[in-house]
Amino acid sequence: MLRDLIIGLSIGSAYSLLAVAVVLIYSSTKVLSLAVGEIGAFALYVALRWHERGWFGWHPSVFVCALLTIVGAGALGLLVERLVMRPMVGRPALDTLVATLVVALLLALSELAIYGINPFAAPSPVGHGTVRLLGATVSATQVTALLLAGFVAVALWLFLTRTSFGLATRAVTGDATVARLLGVKVNRVYVFAWGVGGLLSGAAAALLAPISGSLTPFSLTTALLSALAGAVIGGLDSLGGAIVGSLLVGLVTSVVGSRVDPTTSAGVIFLAVLVTLLVRPQGLLGGARASA
Amino acid sequence: MTTPANLLSVDELCSGYGSLQVLFGVSLSVAEGEVVALMGSNGAGKTTTLRTITGLLRATAGSVVLDGVHVTGTPPERLVDRGVVMVPEGRGMLRELTVSENLALGAYTVRDKAQVAAALDRAFTTFPILFERKEQKAGTLSGGQQQMLALGRALMAGPRLMLVDEASMGLSPIMTERAFSLIAEVNRTLGVAVLLVEQNVLALDLAHRAYVLEKGQVVASAEGAEVRTMQGQLREAYLGTGA
Amino acid sequence: MLLALLAPLGMNLPQTSIVSTALFLGIVALGLDVLIGTTGQLSIAHAALFGSGCYAALALGTHGLPWPVAFLGAAAAAAAVSVLMGLPSLRIRGLQVAIATLAFQVFAQQVPNKWPGVKSGGRVWERPSYLVDETHLYLLTLAVLGLVLVLLHRLRSTRGGRGLLAVRDVEARAAAFGVSTGPAKLFAYGVSGAVAGLGGALFAMQQGSVQDLQPFILRESLLLVAVVVIGGARSAVGILVATLLIQAVPKLLGSDFDIPYLGPAPIVLPALLTAPLLIGIVMQPQGIGGVLHDLGAKLTDRGERPSPRPMPTDAHASAARARDLRDVPRPLKHRLPTPSLLVAKSVSVRYGGVQALVDLDIEVRRSEIVGLIGANGAGKSTFFNAVSGLAPTTGSIRYRDSELLGLPASSRSARGVARTFQDMGLVRGDTVRENVLLAQTWIASYPAVTGLLALGGSVGTERELRRRADEALELFGLTHLADERLGDLPYGTMRIVEIAAAVASGPDLLLLDEASAGLTPDEAHALGDRFQALRDELGLTLVVIEHHVPLIARTCDYCYCLESGALIAQGTPAEVVAQPRVVESFLGRGSLDEVPA
Repeated sequence: MLRDLIIGLSIGSAYSLLAVAVVLIYSSTKVLSLAVGEIGAFALYVALRWHERGWFGWHPSVFVCALLTIVGAGALGLLVERLVMRPMVGRPALDTLVATLVVALLLALSELAIYGINPFAAPSPVGHGTVRLLGATVSATQVTALLLAGFVAVALWLFLTRTSFGLATRAVTGDATVARLLGVKVNRVYVFAWGVGGLLSGAAAALLAPISGSLTPFSLTTALLSALAGAVIGGLDSLGGAIVGSLLVGLVTSVVGSRVDPTTSAGVIFLAVLVTLLVRPQGLLGGARASA
Repeated sequence: MTTPANLLSVDELCSGYGSLQVLFGVSLSVAEGEVVALMGSNGAGKTTTLRTITGLLRATAGSVVLDGVHVTGTPPERLVDRGVVMVPEGRGMLRELTVSENLALGAYTVRDKAQVAAALDRAFTTFPILFERKEQKAGTLSGGQQQMLALGRALMAGPRLMLVDEASMGLSPIMTERAFSLIAEVNRTLGVAVLLVEQNVLALDLAHRAYVLEKGQVVASAEGAEVRTMQGQLREAYLGTGA
Repeated sequence: MLLALLAPLGMNLPQTSIVSTALFLGIVALGLDVLIGTTGQLSIAHAALFGSGCYAALALGTHGLPWPVAFLGAAAAAAAVSVLMGLPSLRIRGLQVAIATLAFQVFAQQVPNKWPGVKSGGRVWERPSYLVDETHLYLLTLAVLGLVLVLLHRLRSTRGGRGLLAVRDVEARAAAFGVSTGPAKLFAYGVSGAVAGLGGALFAMQQGSVQDLQPFILRESLLLVAVVVIGGARSAVGILVATLLIQAVPKLLGSDFDIPYLGPAPIVLPALLTAPLLIGIVMQPQGIGGVLHDLGAKLTDRGERPSPRPMPTDAHASAARARDLRDVPRPLKHRLPTPSLLVAKSVSVRYGGVQALVDLDIEVRRSEIVGLIGANGAGKSTFFNAVSGLAPTTGSIRYRDSELLGLPASSRSARGVARTFQDMGLVRGDTVRENVLLAQTWIASYPAVTGLLALGGSVGTERELRRRADEALELFGLTHLADERLGDLPYGTMRIVEIAAAVASGPDLLLLDEASAGLTPDEAHALGDRFQALRDELGLTLVVIEHHVPLIARTCDYCYCLESGALIAQGTPAEVVAQPRVVESFLGRGSLDEVPA
């Protein structure tokens, strides 16, 4: 049981990286991005292929691969912002949602076309050691996920509350037009959201693929949906909510999934999302919206 | 007519929303240190004029010149650097942010820390209530307090021209008077030029010059003593009873 | 397109079956478009509905029922699942609905794993002898596709479909046209699911037995959404082209067709196709269908455009000709004359922390034109919202001596209350005539499904509604614009169309919110005559919100002035405008003293 809990928390932590990416992009740009899973996956594919083929006479280690994935995914996030989302500013929410969907599709189909349907072995970037934690054996990857999620949460919180650009980001979340009238360059906030969203996506991919053992096209988009469920349960405009929600989803997946079966855990999460949407649409920790 | 050099001149401005043209060649000017009122009833195109001047809305024809420089279509975030701020209709509160944070955002474009501190000091002395409530979320303030915060925030960047959209909207008559006298004070003490867009004729009390907008066109203008007699004309325009 | 659909008849069997499979998905996509294009709801679970139809058909088919029964059963089952999935949309909207369907998809695709019985235990559904041939199955597919297209066409031209457009574009106001938004949405989910179920039934028949869940998983749902968006919402041709491009062409090219440097076509082509499609979404919001439509418009453009303004008509004479617009099927108790048509007592409206109306008393007598004036935010439109049931209201609003509060908003148009909105409440993407038909929804009392199937009195009713629409358009000099897209017209014309639509719904009480906005001075003056003609010839009672006080002074019998949600003056227009408080409210305090007397 304890093992399930810790595994659940570590999976939830990895989800929370994706959930934070979703919330960061949603709260500043009002775009619900379904692309942040596949962005990391694509970068990881490229990095692992580099590891395997040794392009430019260099075989990066698996750890360096993870770093390359993070940086590459960040760059890919920026590219998506500039080429796809920027021209769509002001379009209805469903249009932009579909655009991110097609981005995910394009990346996944490209993975399929370039790397084939066979699962790609995804070795752990932090080795295969294990750690005894409260009497349970946990892999190094899982511990890294826990630590990284904690670090990201604290760093983002400090950034948003202590820096002037963080304040500007929150202003854009509140009302982009008012922020502009005060001199905030909203495009920079959008770039920031997608850039950091990309970085987080890369980190999540580098951790989630080894946890599940392999990488296939669409596998990270499936993970993203769990993260999205977490974000909805916690509150789409609340970073704290996204993290708490993701941890909950991770726990349910792990505990119910191993004690009962995966169908039941999917069912429980579905019900939780539905109940949240119906009873408290702003999520557990989401800000109360004007009811007019 | 010996007015100082124009800070803002708007010439034959046209704009609208999609197939709906709202402005049909609006021309007006604001000189350094001046309070100018742009009067008009609902739907006359007052807010549209401000949105077009600040580049929130695309001008289909005409020009906006600031200090001799063409700024037509310049987005609002760049106008702030040029000393133009707008207090939007409904006061534009960032409701989830605290009073201090709202004020800090007002000085977002100011790099000099000492300057920001001085501006904050000035805001708190002008509006003591903001100091008392500085850790409170802006959404919890009353309408009058929000109007003060909106004004205080707009002044943080040390603007030369402030565009105020319907400061009286949703305020009680007493609060409206208070808001207007604060604007007059800001103009006197800081020398900030103000373009006041209003339906409420009280605004004419503090205006050096005034324009009347009707169906997207300037139909009258007045300056000095004429501003007083404009109230009678407006009465006719609004109520159709004649003076 | 037609040629492309006939081409498979000359192909070899595997190729024919590839095109058939693509068309099944095309049918599902058409079903999805009922939600996306027509209702504005994004479902990311249509692969699951496709699966529901497939397994329902298999269950019925393997139990020996004839295939038409299995098909109907599949449609019914998928419709039921779809309605179930749509229930949350009664409470939530937009992105939240999309997320709810997403969660549903993730859950639903697990179901066959948990309960393998769903898959009919591997039994095989034998096709009847005359359908064993792939070509024959293909012909059946074409027939079903044809049926679906006819259904969708009927959907557009009947009550149900018009209600959906209103839900999509003006959801908060659809009730003012007599559209009940909840049932309308569920109807859309039902139709959408039924169509998807038919696609599933065809797939079941083709496969005989389906063990692999791949066609029903999330990825396929996402692909379906992409197909609809790429094809262009509300464009059947565009959607079918997109489906064939994505689902059939790569497979038809075959795995031995290598794209130079890149690899085998079936694997590489989808990715290659997605890239331009993404560009399409970013650049051209209307999809393939939009491009086709623009091409068509260019080819058929005759260069002559009608004047986008209403034709001048003699207000009184044309109103006299349109008197029978008041002949509507209203129960007797809602026809009996009462001296006061509308009596509002202590009406208060609160939005969150804001008190928008405070203890308002307003009386509207029969056959009067009543003016409502006041500064910005005084609560004038809020009063209209209270009367039409679109605001949380306390107090009492009696209409023809029966209480309105507590009645659903959508039932008020049937009682004879019609209104317009300050910022135009019609569907801009639809034609002028369709909008006028939409406003008459309450008169079209046939159930939405009978309309779809052209049963019962629906055809006759629709004919009558069209006649009424044309009559109302003529009354306002809009006949020459009947087939124009509303959104293409100048704002002032849209406003007149809105009034025409409200009058077409056969009201006794007409609430007009800032009717003169966007009109030229001449048109505004003519509008005043129009008000009086509606009162004198049609016997309508009007309440008009106006900022142009001279118009009020000229046309109104009585006038109320609001300030901060409360009444500050009433009387004849001349009396009201003379009151100091009114002047103060409009012009600011103190302004009176300084005006020379």
